[in-house]
Amino acid sequence: MSTPATHTPEPAARRRGLDLRLDRFRGLATAIVVFAALLLVVDLISAGPLSYFDISFLSSGGATLALAAVGQTIVILSGGFDLSAGAVLSLVNVVLATTMDPTDFEASIVLWTAVGIGVGMLVGAFNGFFIAFVRLQPIVVTLSTMFIIQGITLLILDKPGGFVSPSLGGFYLGDLVPGWIPMPIALLFAVGLFWMWLKRTRFGTALYAVGSDPNAAAAAGLRVDWTRFAVYVVAGGFYGLGGVFISAQTGSGDPLVGNPLLLSIFAAVVVGGTRLGGGRGGPIGSIFGAYILMIVVNILLVLNVSAYYSTIAEGLILLLAVLAGSISRGSTLAHQIRGAWTRFGAWRAGTLPSQIGGGDRRLAMTDVARPESRTQAMPSLWSRHGETLRFALPAYAALVLVIIVTQVWLGNAILNWTYWNSIVVLSSFLAILALGQGTVILTGGLDLSVPWTIGFCGILLAGMVQGSDAALVYALPVVLLVAVGIGLVNGLGIVWLGLSPIVVTLATNGMLQGAALIYSGGTPAGFSSPLLRWFMTAKVLGITPVVYFMVLFVIFSVIFLSRTSFGRRVYGIGNGLRVAQLSGIAVGRTLVGVYVLSAVCAALVGILLTGFSGQASLGMGDDYLLPSIAVVVVGGALITGGRGHYLGMLGGVLLLTALQTLLAGTTLPYATRAIIYGVVVLGAVIALRDRRELS
Amino acid sequence: MKRASRIIGTAAAAALLFGGAALTGMAAQAQEKYKIFLSMSYIGNDWQAEAANMVKAMAAHKSMADKVDLQVQVAGPNAQRQIQQINAMVQQGADAIVVFPISPTALNQVVKNACDKGVLIFAYDAEITEECAYNIHIDQEEAGRVTAEWLVEKLDGKGNIVVLTGVPGTSVDTQRTAAAMEVFAENPDINIVAEAVGMWSQAVTRTELSKILATQSWDDIDGLWMQVGCYTANAMQLEAGKTPEELIPCAGEGANGGRIQMLPVGTEVEGASGPYAPLGAPRISYASPPYSGGLALKLAVEKLEGKDVPKLTVLPLPLVTNETIQLCKEGTWDEMKAGCNAFSPAIVANPGWFASIFSEATPEIGFNAALVGQPEL
Repeated sequence: MSTPATHTPEPAARRRGLDLRLDRFRGLATAIVVFAALLLVVDLISAGPLSYFDISFLSSGGATLALAAVGQTIVILSGGFDLSAGAVLSLVNVVLATTMDPTDFEASIVLWTAVGIGVGMLVGAFNGFFIAFVRLQPIVVTLSTMFIIQGITLLILDKPGGFVSPSLGGFYLGDLVPGWIPMPIALLFAVGLFWMWLKRTRFGTALYAVGSDPNAAAAAGLRVDWTRFAVYVVAGGFYGLGGVFISAQTGSGDPLVGNPLLLSIFAAVVVGGTRLGGGRGGPIGSIFGAYILMIVVNILLVLNVSAYYSTIAEGLILLLAVLAGSISRGSTLAHQIRGAWTRFGAWRAGTLPSQIGGGDRRLAMTDVARPESRTQAMPSLWSRHGETLRFALPAYAALVLVIIVTQVWLGNAILNWTYWNSIVVLSSFLAILALGQGTVILTGGLDLSVPWTIGFCGILLAGMVQGSDAALVYALPVVLLVAVGIGLVNGLGIVWLGLSPIVVTLATNGMLQGAALIYSGGTPAGFSSPLLRWFMTAKVLGITPVVYFMVLFVIFSVIFLSRTSFGRRVYGIGNGLRVAQLSGIAVGRTLVGVYVLSAVCAALVGILLTGFSGQASLGMGDDYLLPSIAVVVVGGALITGGRGHYLGMLGGVLLLTALQTLLAGTTLPYATRAIIYGVVVLGAVIALRDRRELS
Repeated sequence: MKRASRIIGTAAAAALLFGGAALTGMAAQAQEKYKIFLSMSYIGNDWQAEAANMVKAMAAHKSMADKVDLQVQVAGPNAQRQIQQINAMVQQGADAIVVFPISPTALNQVVKNACDKGVLIFAYDAEITEECAYNIHIDQEEAGRVTAEWLVEKLDGKGNIVVLTGVPGTSVDTQRTAAAMEVFAENPDINIVAEAVGMWSQAVTRTELSKILATQSWDDIDGLWMQVGCYTANAMQLEAGKTPEELIPCAGEGANGGRIQMLPVGTEVEGASGPYAPLGAPRISYASPPYSGGLALKLAVEKLEGKDVPKLTVLPLPLVTNETIQLCKEGTWDEMKAGCNAFSPAIVANPGWFASIFSEATPEIGFNAALVGQPEL
């Protein structure tokens, strides 16, 4: 995930050593300053000054997030990505809560901490094996692991309960020096020292090297695979420690306790100054990042920010914190401002190209190119599409397998027209999202604002339409225009401010959630018009109208991505931002276009979902974020951008939908389903990798 | 002097953060009022928003307004944040905290700490297992058992049924589902043909039922037991060409859309259209009532005033069947006391809105409280 930094770094020679050193720690320093400022705000506005006890509570409140963020940072420094972090916290929590002896109030702290860390490292080793040695993409492996772990967690403990010895709580929430140093702070300090040591070992050097450029690291003689493996094991250990801490803090088990922390973990890492994509930043910043996110809770409380506005305020704080970290002479924002200033000066002086005139001065290439292309033989079909097919086929192969299993297990599938119709209707939402999210991923970005773009647009549409077909005439364009606006905000935030796509889209998502709540007053009124309902649920010649639409949509998407100049620019940017820039691609404009496309796709899904359900509801888009990423990657796209074909993603969509349909028709418990789901996704990508080996 | 500079600094910092927009709320706080906080969970669903409206309405009622200073905060789906939030509330000098607990166990330590500092903790709808907390909720096992028994009786003890559960891993879902499954197990001729996770959402119900119906037909299904989703299930049967008379029995939630569908065909209902209309659908409708938050606030104030409040308040399970369904005209508390339990689509546009809002114990809050946060006069 490269940050589309569209600026040229200053020549290093012009800087002095001190500047350079400062720049290296800018992310960390900003995180510390922002944290200190927020703490001061809380202290100033609070009823009384912060006492030692308050500090102690604050320190324990953010510790779990901080520990998990440290693990995630190490993964991200190595150029990886770990979606299983939250699930590991839950797993360790339930393992401890179910295996500890409820009568033993003096359970050994060392033993149980080791158990927790061990469980985390075991999961890390599983991740590391598939990522380092089987060479699968981290995002798919850890996504599969996340589902499998969630299933196992529910098998171990199906509802909150269990027992964690108070001795753990007494230790981890206690004091190192009573009245002076709370234990969580001491623990994080120890983690910091451990990191300082780790960084100076051979492993530490290898970690940064692999994250900066794996090829160069391999060429320099580093064992890239073992480094990667170790990274996930170490990270797993930190999640494990986080799980121990949350167990100590809560004194019991809850199978869902860690899962919702996932996005916060990423936010903490980014706020802490670590760049997604690897090679720069460090866990110490992430610790402060975690505390910044947690102290926001206190800020919202002392300022009495109304509930509906809290996600908006959080989004703004996230943006401002990261923006503060990126302000410097060399930052993208500074470049944009300087550029605008220069353009303004040129306009006043009358020296802008458009003011000078002179018309189109591009070289006339057409005459030169034509005769050549006529004489050149077309390459064979396989050599043109071979690679695409190799990456797209496994999803389809797995799809066929799932359908056969459905036929054998449930019957009534292959020859049942309703089955095929249902699969396409249910796939339509993800298939549309796949175009938007897929295009974003092709440029090396990620759009996390999908859930509430869906929710907000659906609620807006239902609110305007109020069951009237006539209202669709203006409601549809208005909603789509709003989506264009959302995309513009995302795109401009990323291009102009030079911020990581994850931060910008996460903040946008929070603001849209607030907007949806304010617009609907907490309970969305209005419902879809009869025409929209007909479109999603009626049958024309035995087929739901949306199926016809999907055929057109797929044709459009394929042509759009592979035959238009916009599509080619997208691939160009994904393969190398700098190269694309030097090749004359308008990188900024294309990136903005990509995020607009993604927002419009999400809005379309919001509209169709409203038609499908008959009304819009808050949170209707929540279940579509991770699947929208999963289908893109299962369909053969590379999460770092540049590779992937829409037909492959479509295969991923159909595979996951068929698999869910199969599982829904059974009476298997949810835990087992989650495990099967994870295993199938992992299996599909292993097949993907096998294909690559054949070439 | 120091105080003044501190206030100025505060104002500057706040203005810096929020463009000065949030400054209004914090200035006026009369000394004698009880400082009560509401810590909500996730705000992104109908039930939560409705319950929050009823808490706000309770605080705004004339019997409460000069006693209570209520602040509402959202913790999101994340137990860690709720822990932090409750700590912060204690630090801000809360007298009582009304909380929708994200986890029945994860909050125990922070709740105990709050109790130790003399702060009252009132949990509504879901429970907190820490002993010092006050809990207000329905008996979830009873809800699962009674609805399953109704379905078995409706089907004369035999038939194929589809089961839709709630959010896996929560106590509420586990208890309801386990109790229902026990009933089904006692009736060997009841055959569960498919089981899916409904997440307590009408939208998820739609996708999950669509997946089940990809390989099965409505003709093969005799009954439905779902925690949320009967409204959607009935709508889907109509789309599949069924007539209202052919709708299969469904044991499920107390959404207003489902209640309207229970009214006999031909009942005159303002604003009825599509599936949101009287269908005479065979139903039992139960609910975890959203007034529990409002009641929690009321009990908290009573306790603060020195009255005796039991640690556990088990709410009567609101059950509505085709025999007891009755349309409300305006939805005042008095009207609901007389027995009405469904609201016309003209005033409740959202069929997913929860209609079980009546309690003998809360004459302060009626229909307008749930819909827009306005107390009764």
